[in-house]
Amino acid sequence: MSVIVQRRYTSQRAEPAELDSLLLWSAIALLLFGLVMVYSASIATAEGSQFTGHQPAYFLIRHGVFLAIGIVVGTVAFQIPLRVWQQAAPWLFLGGVALLIVVILPHVGRSVNGAQRWLPLGWVNLQPSELMKLFAVLYAADYTTRKLGDMGSFRRGFVPMAIVMMLVGFLLLREPDFGAFVVIVAIAMGILFLGGINAPMFGALLLLLCLAFVALVASSEYRYQRILGFMDPWQDAYGKGYQLSHALIAFGRGEWFGVGLGASVEKLFYLPEAHTDFLLAVIGEELGFIGIVVVVCLFALLVQRAYVIGRQALTLDRLYASLVAQGIGIWIGCQAFINMGVNMGMLPTKGLTLPLMSFGGSGIVANCVALAILLRVDYENRQMMRGNRL
Amino acid sequence: MKFSSNPLLSRVLPAWRARLVLILLLGGFVALIGRSLYLQSFRNDFLQQKGESRYARVIEVSATRGRVSDRNGDVLAISTPVKSIWAIPEDAKLSPAQARHLAALLGMDVRELNRKLTTDSDFVFIKRQIAPDVAERVAALNLPGIQQQREYRRYYPAGDIAAHVLGFTGAEDAGQEGIELAYDNVLAGRPGSRRVIKDRRGQIVEDVASIKAPQDGKDLTLSLDGKIQYLAYASLKQAVAEHKAKAGGIVVLDVKTGEILALANLPTYNPNNRFGLVGAQLRNRALTDTFEPGSTLKPFTAALALEKGKVRFDTLIQTAPGHLTIGSATIHDAHVHGMLTVAQVIQKSSNVGAAKIALSLPAEDMWQMFDALGFGNPLHFGFPGEVGGRLRPVKSWKPIEQATMAYGHGISVTLMQMARAYMVFARDGDLLPLTLTKLDAPPLVGKTVFSAQTAHEVRAMLEMAVQPGGTAPKAQIAGYRVAGKTGTAHKLESGSYAQKFVASFVGFAPATDPRLVVAVMIDEPSGAGYYGGDVAAPAFARVMAGSLRALGVPPDSDLHPLLVANKEDAAVKEDM
Repeated sequence: MSVIVQRRYTSQRAEPAELDSLLLWSAIALLLFGLVMVYSASIATAEGSQFTGHQPAYFLIRHGVFLAIGIVVGTVAFQIPLRVWQQAAPWLFLGGVALLIVVILPHVGRSVNGAQRWLPLGWVNLQPSELMKLFAVLYAADYTTRKLGDMGSFRRGFVPMAIVMMLVGFLLLREPDFGAFVVIVAIAMGILFLGGINAPMFGALLLLLCLAFVALVASSEYRYQRILGFMDPWQDAYGKGYQLSHALIAFGRGEWFGVGLGASVEKLFYLPEAHTDFLLAVIGEELGFIGIVVVVCLFALLVQRAYVIGRQALTLDRLYASLVAQGIGIWIGCQAFINMGVNMGMLPTKGLTLPLMSFGGSGIVANCVALAILLRVDYENRQMMRGNRL
Repeated sequence: MKFSSNPLLSRVLPAWRARLVLILLLGGFVALIGRSLYLQSFRNDFLQQKGESRYARVIEVSATRGRVSDRNGDVLAISTPVKSIWAIPEDAKLSPAQARHLAALLGMDVRELNRKLTTDSDFVFIKRQIAPDVAERVAALNLPGIQQQREYRRYYPAGDIAAHVLGFTGAEDAGQEGIELAYDNVLAGRPGSRRVIKDRRGQIVEDVASIKAPQDGKDLTLSLDGKIQYLAYASLKQAVAEHKAKAGGIVVLDVKTGEILALANLPTYNPNNRFGLVGAQLRNRALTDTFEPGSTLKPFTAALALEKGKVRFDTLIQTAPGHLTIGSATIHDAHVHGMLTVAQVIQKSSNVGAAKIALSLPAEDMWQMFDALGFGNPLHFGFPGEVGGRLRPVKSWKPIEQATMAYGHGISVTLMQMARAYMVFARDGDLLPLTLTKLDAPPLVGKTVFSAQTAHEVRAMLEMAVQPGGTAPKAQIAGYRVAGKTGTAHKLESGSYAQKFVASFVGFAPATDPRLVVAVMIDEPSGAGYYGGDVAAPAFARVMAGSLRALGVPPDSDLHPLLVANKEDAAVKEDM
């Protein structure tokens, strides 16, 4: 595809493409595929629910609107040079922290299923933790760029970031939003690692983090039960293992080619959160192994492009842009991996959506902006390679 | 500042770190694909079986209950599809206007509807078994949470006319009374089953496979003749109303085949609307209630004496002075007749005469005859609640009892038993088993009780009973010779005889080649008369006349005798 596109550009303009078409098309494919699957997964619950007013297209319409908003916001974000993003990064991050504080204030944040994650803004709800993932990428990259010389030092290189992450982590766990916490920690650690933090020290810290994770899980009955449900969903298949067991059944029903688009049975009130966290299970049931391979490959392609763009930026001495690009890759890659792993029972259940695909306004918009920034890095790379000034 | 020239850069952003992160992520994706492969192509059987256990259900496919029709093919009972309206209360949030509209359509109270919609359960029937057109209008309202399901309702086109024969079905379409119960295994059919996938709310979303096809119930053709049944019912109704009776029963039998052509009782009920039904309406009296038959039993006493050679047709018997004392008890005649032939004893229904004939016979022989006639045992033709009546063992008989049994007291029978017993005179002394279903071919021979000669002689006596000088000239009909016997019995109430009567008439026609037996029983007539000849005989005549014409039986007489029959004073009141 990209070859064709490039060739057309070459023949018409005799110029290299302005954008990484592989990245652009894989992102568009994921977004559109997500739109179709959100509709398919939600149609029955939307029609059967008082809350949606029995409109089958309730979630489709909203997802489509969010997608449109995401594209508009993304187009705007694309116009902003990385230089500006870097300058704004600490302020965006602070703003994000402020939102995280606001959302856990009593009577301000909206609570759904025991988690207070949303800020009501008229007819939409804002989920600050989704924006925070983007801000974490921008901020961690800025931090690492600034402290490049201190990366070898535990006290000057690691501790300040660790303190910031602990603060953010504390706020996220108050909601609670364990999934976002894991993703943000992964982003920060990943960027520090790429930034050259002392490897033995990093390894030791990772070990420490694992221990802390185990302690965290053991300390909360809620999280502990979620772990149990994941280990053996069939033991309490109608209780704690209910959601996962239905997700696994969906995969089992899908076999190689799926039961056909729209024909899922699990989405008919059996599988909770079919259009959000467990969208992949519906894809697995309706489109089978082939559908899963397509989704995984599109994400892998996206991550690989982020890596290539990041490394490209580095060769152009654009350290911040490089870390942002790779940070976005880590974010999308990690979140997609965790979500899919949860869907297939490889990882404990936590509230994480499938990036670019699942229903969720804040998530889709944040993902679109992230992709726009990634494309911007690539755009700036190409401009620089042509000798253009930014 | 150029980072590439910075020696720090090669140390802080080494390519291996970026590559490691990429490889870890891609490795994670490979693991996902591996896991997906495992779930979707190796563990799929296990997972699908788990899924089946959650949403695959085997549901019953109801079989249509068989139709019941009369011998001419006219439908008497049929299952018609109806709808039941049910709701998921949680989803059924109706506006007050919607609730009013729905309640009005279903003909129910709005408060009742709202009460049902606010129950705690996940499922509630709003109204069961409503007509399809109403269901369509309810569906058109398109109300949230209001659902419909298909059911069958049993419909009885003949209404109360054949209610007791047909009975009815209860919940789940199972037979509860009458033919519906007796032939339930024929009519019910076997429900089939289908494997379906249901969503979590119980709606079928996919029909996977049919496991067993439903087997519809078989249709049943009864021996009843719709026209005769109607005639019998209407005549009975008229007689019961005219004589202000408590109850009544009527039976029409085909002499040639043993088929029951009509069976009606009063009081009855409308099987299509059984609201407020009481026990008395339900009783199929002709089969389940016994009564002391009274004089209708006399011909059998005479027949036995003829058969045993104790008397002849014209043997004279002294019935004066109109009473006979046996031990401490005395038998009375209503009128003093003097010397009577055996035939006249039957014609004028003399108790003293019948008692004297009986006392000439061994008790053992009488018992054997009653037993052979089917008294004391249920008829066993598969009808629920059938009783056998009371025929005490012969060893306990005292002479007075043998004497009273001769004219039908101290023994109890059902109307159906009585009608059947008269077949011995209508036929050549033999009895056929009775049936409520239409026969393809009549039974060849029955059980012989009397010789053909005895049967013909008694038939002649019974013909005399409806002629001038007999007890029942009102039983005569134009164009046919009728033979029959009246009965007027005191009712036994808690061990003693009360001033309440059971008036009956059993007879057959045409006398030259009998085709039908008709038995009429009127319980507690409280109008002007109570004699069988006044109360039961006219109903008999109406039914017999209409039935013979309906069957196209050729007349065996001219049209004159009716003139005499209608003269009230010509009739001799029968004895008790």
